[in-house]
Amino acid sequence: MKHTKLLVLVVLLLVSMLAPAVKAQANTLTIASGTDIENTNIHLVTSSPSFSVLEHIYETLFNMTPEGELVPVLAESIEATADNVYVIKLKQGISFTDGTPFNAEAVKANLEYMLDTENGAAFRFLLVVGGEPAQVEVLDEYTVQITTKFPFAPLPAHLSHGAYAMVSPAALAQGKDFLASNAVGTGPFVLSEWKRDEEVVLTRNDAYWGEKPALEKVVFKVVKESGARLVEIQSGTVDVAVRVPPADIPMLQADPNVEIMITPGLRTIYIFFNVTEEPFTDVRVRQAVNYAVDVQAIVDNLFEGAALVSRAPFAPAIFGYSAQEPYARDLEKAKALLAEAGVAEGTTLTLYHPTGRYIQDALVADAVRAQLREVGLNVELQTLEWPQYVPHVRRPKPDNDIQFAMLGWGVPTMDADYALFALFHSSEFPPGFNGAFYSNPEVDALLEKGRSTLDQEERKAAYAEAIRIIWEDAPWLFLYSEIQVTAVRKNVEGFIVHPDESLIATFASKK
Amino acid sequence: MTASIPTDFTAPKKTFKLPTSVRRLIRNPLAMFGLFIVLTFIFVGIFAEQISPHDYDLSNLSMARKGPSATYVLGNDEIGRDMLSRLFHGARISLTLGVISVGIGLIVGVFMGVVAGYFGGVVDLIVMGIIDIMLAFPSILLAIMFVAFLGGSLQNAMIAIGVLSIPVYTRLVRSSTLSIKEELFVEAARALGANHVTIVLRHILPNVFAPIIVQSTLQMAVAIQAAAALGFLGLGAPPDVPEWGNMLQKGRNFIFSAPHIVLYPGLATMLVVFGFSLLGDGLRDALDPRLNR
Amino acid sequence: MTKFIVRRLLLAIPTLLGVSFLVFASIRLVPGGPAIALAGELATPEIIEQVNRELGLDQPLLIQYVNYLGRMLRFDLGRSIRSGLPVIEEIQTRLPRTLLLAVVSLTVSSVLGITIGVTAATRPNSLFDGGSMIFALLGVSMPIFWSGLMLMIFFAVLLPQWLTSIGFPTGPILPPTGSGTWQHLVMPVTALAANSMAIQARMTRATMLEVLRQDYIRTARAKGQKERIVVYVHALRNAMLPIVTIIGLQFGTLLGGAVLTETVFSWPGIGRLLVDTIGFRDYPVIQGTVLTISVGFVLTNLFVDILYAYLDPRIKYS
Repeated sequence: MKHTKLLVLVVLLLVSMLAPAVKAQANTLTIASGTDIENTNIHLVTSSPSFSVLEHIYETLFNMTPEGELVPVLAESIEATADNVYVIKLKQGISFTDGTPFNAEAVKANLEYMLDTENGAAFRFLLVVGGEPAQVEVLDEYTVQITTKFPFAPLPAHLSHGAYAMVSPAALAQGKDFLASNAVGTGPFVLSEWKRDEEVVLTRNDAYWGEKPALEKVVFKVVKESGARLVEIQSGTVDVAVRVPPADIPMLQADPNVEIMITPGLRTIYIFFNVTEEPFTDVRVRQAVNYAVDVQAIVDNLFEGAALVSRAPFAPAIFGYSAQEPYARDLEKAKALLAEAGVAEGTTLTLYHPTGRYIQDALVADAVRAQLREVGLNVELQTLEWPQYVPHVRRPKPDNDIQFAMLGWGVPTMDADYALFALFHSSEFPPGFNGAFYSNPEVDALLEKGRSTLDQEERKAAYAEAIRIIWEDAPWLFLYSEIQVTAVRKNVEGFIVHPDESLIATFASKK
Repeated sequence: MTASIPTDFTAPKKTFKLPTSVRRLIRNPLAMFGLFIVLTFIFVGIFAEQISPHDYDLSNLSMARKGPSATYVLGNDEIGRDMLSRLFHGARISLTLGVISVGIGLIVGVFMGVVAGYFGGVVDLIVMGIIDIMLAFPSILLAIMFVAFLGGSLQNAMIAIGVLSIPVYTRLVRSSTLSIKEELFVEAARALGANHVTIVLRHILPNVFAPIIVQSTLQMAVAIQAAAALGFLGLGAPPDVPEWGNMLQKGRNFIFSAPHIVLYPGLATMLVVFGFSLLGDGLRDALDPRLNR
Repeated sequence: MTKFIVRRLLLAIPTLLGVSFLVFASIRLVPGGPAIALAGELATPEIIEQVNRELGLDQPLLIQYVNYLGRMLRFDLGRSIRSGLPVIEEIQTRLPRTLLLAVVSLTVSSVLGITIGVTAATRPNSLFDGGSMIFALLGVSMPIFWSGLMLMIFFAVLLPQWLTSIGFPTGPILPPTGSGTWQHLVMPVTALAANSMAIQARMTRATMLEVLRQDYIRTARAKGQKERIVVYVHALRNAMLPIVTIIGLQFGTLLGGAVLTETVFSWPGIGRLLVDTIGFRDYPVIQGTVLTISVGFVLTNLFVDILYAYLDPRIKYS
């Protein structure tokens, strides 16, 4: 008996001794990421994991710092020469890794690639103002002029979006197929290998124009299971693990080798009420549901505090934020409001929700359902896969009979215009993003003002008023903003998790 | 002699020696153990409401992911509902799902098998062509694709699993039909003016009854396992439904912080599948003396 | 023999055509197209229309299918909508991984399964017989994804905890997911092999029992041959037929059926590729993958049939 035990032990130790073959190396930073990149064409990808990887290879004209400050990268400066005209000066002496010089023609080629409807870029709309694409002109070798139909305050911020990064014009000319698996940029790293569904390997660009990174190699390793990412970070086979499940935060906090990074995100999760469908035509019902759901308890118990209860329709880090008093749970008030509105006990409602798209999305939908049961609402959950989900909840009238549905909205530009206009302006009814069919002339006017005024204080005031009205009208069940929880080994320094979900390894080093 | 291997039919027998088979079954302790599990499962499924200690649907967020305690014997699930009561209701869902999907497979499969075997020719060619297409693909992937395309729901899972069990029955019934229809007694019946339906109902089906019973018991095990697999891939019921595979799928995110959420539904699935398999094996041995040792 | 193979291959063509058409048509008839998945939540109707035009999805179904067949004849399976890479390439990177998993787990399970089955059959109704058969049945009854998770908990959490508590501090014993080294293979192979081994053991036991009662076995024994030779050479050879059939069928199933294991262990195989791309409505990849799996399935069945003919003593000795 003793022998068997010893034998087992010896075998296991042997196995574990053979295992370190996968241990991380000193100049390589390995990041356990949840999803593989879609492809390497930064103009066409849409997921944040793709941008995270590609933004190490490609650079934008401007960058939004984690603090929300717009700083020039490939641009030198930007200036509004008229209400609707911006002139951008570019940095000189930069070339793409294939030797092509970076200049005004390159900027024009990239912006026009984005604006060409033939390319089907999802983020094309960022440079479309009043239905018309922006006009890009080359003034001299290092100066570009952008003209929009109307004055458009968020334009510089929109140019900081990863989709507007600069790709070598020579590579652009080779077409989509080439760009899908090749990346030629100006950034601090170059693409060295992409093993589908396994890993993307980046190596340092030794000819980089800026300060060169300390790391020689960055590996984005695809580890889909969250549990597996935990095991990897704890055993040191990776240096960074993204999307730590909230329930496992305590376990990692107890690990002396791992540090938890908490980064408030830019994405807000909400459930919109279709205000044109019974019973949500009545503001009292919408408010009642807000009172019935204990968002604080969801955040505390299901997220272990790793989410922010919403106090506005978007996250605090975004320009124009103005906090409201949250609807605290009040079952009596909720029941009273429902009774006033004539909603009978046992009324059946259908809640649509996605699964696997946002952190614990299905879990939250289930919790909301369970809580509404306590005020006598019988909620049926409808789960749809993402490709079916979006078109379904965004069908135009009269096909659209959604009662309420869960969605998330990220604001990569960190500006209230992006956060509010598409979701609450009456011109954005489905197939646009205003799934609630919310329409309030006052809000419309305020949102229009916010987008066409260049004075930041005036904009702020307009958005504060719009948020106040929206909060009262309650076209949403206001839920929470996501917080990104990232686990990093203690010997890693300088790793940045951006609120927009980008992971930045450029300034990282390992002790 | 009543043989369950279809090609072995030598004598026409509409009745089978039930008493003998039953005695054989009772003498098999493993089969009886299987029967015990199956009966318990059916009992729990039917009386889930009555025997559940708590409201299976009542969530208490502050109890989320809590391990076993005196009040909640098997602990709480990811949003603080009672695991035990949910497992009981899960048994009801698995039972319904198993019966309906096996029913679909059985009815469609037997019909196709009889038609193919009895009429032969082009009909046979077409039916078996369809079956070949279905068999040219791993059945679980077939079910996954089916449900993924139609949208995840319990009904779709039932249909998918039902559809994938069609070929088993079709093949079984077709080969028996082929051999039986050449028998003298069938020809005699035909000569006496019996129509197709009568011949099929009175002479052919009774002869495949035994293997169908055996197959259906085993198929219950397959169906319950397949349902759990679909649920695990997130293709079954909505997240609030306590289907076992569904519970596993959601618990999988908490395997380190709350392993009990994954442990129990998996154990339950295993036990029930084990029970049906034992019973199915026992029935086969009991109804097929050739294998009786 | 060649004639037989050619005939079987020709017979497989209508089946494969049927499979490909069914998949082709069904994925296009259900709601939710690749355009949405491609452009995400930001897709506007113009983008969707644009993407659909580019993918040729605005044409009638039959024309699309005929075009597809035409391209297939030139071994062009199209390009992935999601990645823009050729489908052939997508499959090439995944298939070897699935094959590796299938071959290794089937080898492990066959060796163990047949050994257990034979041993049980030579001692019918013994403790070993009863015990191993109950375990075998339990092995089949375990949902494979569940046993995968349990292995993960065991090797990643429980075992290290225990080892640490008795004075051998250690991290996770085995890499929980991914592929690349032999350590990565251990858990998925264990999960898969436990399942297929059980089926093989049961099948081996049943056939061996039957074979061992045959006259020629008695003759061999009477001739004074060693029991081991009687069992493993004379009997097993004749019991191989159904065993080989089962192993062949299992191989076919593993080609696509490993999807659950691949999911649990993030193993980048072909089953996983299919499930992922279904969620993405990546039509060309779905079609290519389904076709690959079906071809693999059909070829495996053919191979089993040939082996059958080779092993069958009636064919061999006539």
